[in-house]
Amino acid sequence: MNRRIILITGANGALGRATAQTFLDESPGNFVWLGVNRRREHAETLAAKNPDRCRVISLDVTRPDAWKSAVAEIVAAHERLDVLVNNAGTHDDALLAQMKWESWHGVMAVNLEGVFHGCQAVLPVMISQRNGRIINLASLSALLAPPGQTNYAAAKAGVVALTQSLAKEVARIGITVNTVCPGYLDTEALAGLDADAKKRALAQIPMRRFGRPEEVAAAIRFLACAGAGYITGSTLKIDGGIF
Amino acid sequence: MNNPTELRGQIKQMLVENLMLQISAEEIGDDEPLFGPGGLGLDSVDALQIAVALEKNYRLKLSDVEVARKMLQTVNTIAAAIQAHQTPPQ
Repeated sequence: MNRRIILITGANGALGRATAQTFLDESPGNFVWLGVNRRREHAETLAAKNPDRCRVISLDVTRPDAWKSAVAEIVAAHERLDVLVNNAGTHDDALLAQMKWESWHGVMAVNLEGVFHGCQAVLPVMISQRNGRIINLASLSALLAPPGQTNYAAAKAGVVALTQSLAKEVARIGITVNTVCPGYLDTEALAGLDADAKKRALAQIPMRRFGRPEEVAAAIRFLACAGAGYITGSTLKIDGGIF
Repeated sequence: MNNPTELRGQIKQMLVENLMLQISAEEIGDDEPLFGPGGLGLDSVDALQIAVALEKNYRLKLSDVEVARKMLQTVNTIAAAIQAHQTPPQ
């Protein structure tokens, strides 16, 4: 039986939960750790439904000490960590001319530095195992860089570059590092858009529909599977055909 | 405390296994440079793997880059660092 230990950050959100559920469905031997920060109610519900295979863990991705203690707890429980999904993210949109430094830095701290801290925290374990899968969530914004998202687009583009560079560093050790770039997903982030904005967004999507979290989760699961062992440093767009 | 000869043998075996070297442990000289030309020709990614293996096997943490550079020169320098780490302070 396939038995892997998976850590997903930002696991209280729709994409994090869908990813967790996908790994739980993949094998009854998988154990999923749900990294959460301030909000945890949805993650707690998922963990309660799968008490033997799923646990919530406090993890502020901007803090190296939080990463250190979370990884230590996981390794103490399982003596390994096979998959890290760096999914935690935030956005704080504004035109650059009016953007406060706090908005810039806050988005950088979670979306880019959080990935840096996460990779650094799990690498000793994965190097020691000579095996590991890291999947970093970026965004279509990393590639298209829409106005009003200089902070978010720069952070996510940084994630793409970080991924490519790290992938080369650890390729020979049996660790793969890949980026997934979702487009418009039908999640809580989209709920903030008004009807007109949603209509304009839909018009950009050749498939004329928003993506489902499960569709991104399926790609994450694929990149984490043994069959994807030769894929590293790649950037996978999941956006209904926008390019 | 490890016997020095035994310890050097363990270190060489660790290098062969962790770095998947295409030579046997016996072929590595005690004073052979691990990095750069004229030696084993290891690189920074190999150094990273050695650092992880040393922490895992000997609880020896290489936190400072300069210290790591000096320590990882040869099998003998690694052995000396392990022995110093394992020797209780007087």
